[in-house]
Amino acid sequence: MKRRILALGLISALAAAPLATAAASSEAAVSNTEYRKQWHSDIHSGYQALATQSQALADQAKTYCQSPSPEAREQTRQAWLDAFLAWQQVRFVDFGPVEKGNRAWQFQFWPDPKNLVARKASYLLRNDEPVTAAGISESGVAVQGFPMVEYLLYDQPFSNSERALPADHTCQLLTAVSRHIADNGATLAQDWKDFQSDYVEHAPYTDSTIRAAMAGLEILEERRLATPMGLRGNGKRSVYSADAWRSETSLAAVNASVRGLRQYFMPAFSTLLENQNKADLAGRIEQQFDEVQANFPGLERPMAQLLADDTAFRSLQSLYIDVTQLTALVNDRAAVELGVVRGFNSSDGD
Amino acid sequence: MKANVQPAPLVLAIATLVSTGCANTSLSDSEASEPATKASVVEHYADLAHAGYEDALITAKALDKATDRMLANPTEANLQAAREAWLAARVPYQQTEVFRFGNAIVDDWEGQLNAWPLDEGLIDYVQTDGYQYELGNAGATANIIASERVNIGGETIDVSRLTPELLAGLNEAGGSEANVATGYHAIEFLLWGQDLHGFEQGSGERPVTDYAKGADCTNGNCERRGQYLDAVTDLLITDLEWMVAQWAPEDSDNYRSQLMNADADEGVQKMLFGMGSLSLGELAGERMKVALEANSYEDEHDCFSDNTHNSHYYNGQGIQNVYTGLYRRVDGTLVSGPSLSDLVSQNAPELDSRLKVQLETTMAALSDLKSHAEAEENPMPFDVMIAPGNAKGADIVNGAIMALVEQTASIEQAARQLGLETLSPDDAGHSF
Repeated sequence: MKRRILALGLISALAAAPLATAAASSEAAVSNTEYRKQWHSDIHSGYQALATQSQALADQAKTYCQSPSPEAREQTRQAWLDAFLAWQQVRFVDFGPVEKGNRAWQFQFWPDPKNLVARKASYLLRNDEPVTAAGISESGVAVQGFPMVEYLLYDQPFSNSERALPADHTCQLLTAVSRHIADNGATLAQDWKDFQSDYVEHAPYTDSTIRAAMAGLEILEERRLATPMGLRGNGKRSVYSADAWRSETSLAAVNASVRGLRQYFMPAFSTLLENQNKADLAGRIEQQFDEVQANFPGLERPMAQLLADDTAFRSLQSLYIDVTQLTALVNDRAAVELGVVRGFNSSDGD
Repeated sequence: MKANVQPAPLVLAIATLVSTGCANTSLSDSEASEPATKASVVEHYADLAHAGYEDALITAKALDKATDRMLANPTEANLQAAREAWLAARVPYQQTEVFRFGNAIVDDWEGQLNAWPLDEGLIDYVQTDGYQYELGNAGATANIIASERVNIGGETIDVSRLTPELLAGLNEAGGSEANVATGYHAIEFLLWGQDLHGFEQGSGERPVTDYAKGADCTNGNCERRGQYLDAVTDLLITDLEWMVAQWAPEDSDNYRSQLMNADADEGVQKMLFGMGSLSLGELAGERMKVALEANSYEDEHDCFSDNTHNSHYYNGQGIQNVYTGLYRRVDGTLVSGPSLSDLVSQNAPELDSRLKVQLETTMAALSDLKSHAEAEENPMPFDVMIAPGNAKGADIVNGAIMALVEQTASIEQAARQLGLETLSPDDAGHSF
């Protein structure tokens, strides 16, 4: 039976452990540094964007709660989306500082089939005890990230309840969680910067980076598309297995993740392939990214709509096929030719 | 094609009571310690699986007897005996979970026996306040026991006769994986009931009078509840019988013969893939880290009985069994034979020693988890360990997670050492 899978940052901890990979040869270590320099710089710009957008979200949430209005609420939703999409772009990075303190889960605990986010919100809002930063830090990953802010801003039953924004206590929760995200964003960008020499000097991080992109593509194909589309397990289409279904931005998030891989992973990877006399393959991968991205922005529609009728579903299928081909090129062709072993990752298991 | 199973070398490394009826008696005539080969290791792996499923079957039969006695005579003592039989049945079964990953035949079959978490309101009454079910599950409150017919996602199903076949067909009803009508966890729910203690000490407290006759019956429908329990305990036996047969030696038409006829590398790959997948993604990840980091007792494995620590412990034991080739059966006998450890040590003795130490370290960490959960004074079961702010509990769980992560790294190295290019199950085993 296929159940939910979370992107655990476990594997990269060990893949990156310099001592663990006796197989990495020293000659590779020398030539590889230039790729890692580029990756480090590219991913850093992604993390900086996340930090900037998260700070903007925290500021906007505060502004909205100080003087609530429908316009300010709309602006807060937009700020949430900008920050959330910035996260989607770097979501594939599953090693390094993002592993510390489960930051990836703190940004986005997903999937959440048991609706923990709603449970935790109702628990935190059950009385009028003030919501504090310390309280958020102790409340677990289901409270600390984008899904909680999304819940407060978008959930329909909640928005019709007496606790709906801009109720005082809910506003406290909104601003505290947004603050938590912004702090994590800033720390992550700084930690990544500090991680530079470690990353560049240790050859096994080349494999870690390639494996991260492979896992990102695998999760995109299998968990974020195939599962809600009903192509796995019991064959039922279910919007609830998509991410960001409340804000109807599942597909926008997919687009952002693809864009992120292209911007932050591909430049160094293409160079690496070219230097290994695999320019053709690099070209084919770039071309396949074009194919995937050609589905957008047309396909940035609510997942629920795309699942509901067969005509709309066909356009989703086209995207899925394009993504499958991209995954095959990167994970099966390129990685195999480069000798990158997939290894275990957190999505093994049921 | 091999006509007969070749005797594999049997290393009687540890003195033991070898009794008749032991699964490996067919092998015991060869005592020569020939060097292990991939083929002999895969064959012994099949022996381990066979012994494990046989033990699961033996203990499932005992569970069936105990529940039958409880249904015939619903006393506190009989309910307690049934619960103990369930706990005993989990010991061998959890050790077989390592066979799931990599062997599609097991993975496709196991949902009917061990699917979790489940939306128990499908089966029986639940407390409406605070019962959290899977988003979009149309069957989450169907309550089969209280109904002659249930409507799940627009489909009306006649459930007036509670047969094993009917209940098996209701798994994943309405397309929701949380609709689990059969298996260990359905039985667990029927024996313990909902655990309403949250992060507090205490498990499910179903009264035995839920099975009482006539006016003594509590919560209604006692007779149908009994029929349900009878049906699912019977089904568990037939399901396990089928799996035992798949691994039985000297059958040319079962899964074991396919495995033995395939390239030995495929078998070795399945062994390592099973160990690594259970270690990392499933046990360390799904079953511990998710529950811990989200402080979610909904993600507790044996949530009704609070037996989660044993579930985890015996999962870990199963992983170690596959590597060392040793399995302690429920009757105390030891199954042993050519192992992955033997293979790895031929060319990489240091890696072999390290992995063996890591497997031991994991078992020590899981033992720590188990002993805290079972302590006489101030026991700390898994759902208390994962409570917000329980630093000590988090340390215990994290200790087990880290040990599993470390052993997974060595499992990957062992795969490379044995010349397996990839551990992805999709790159091998298409023939199965």
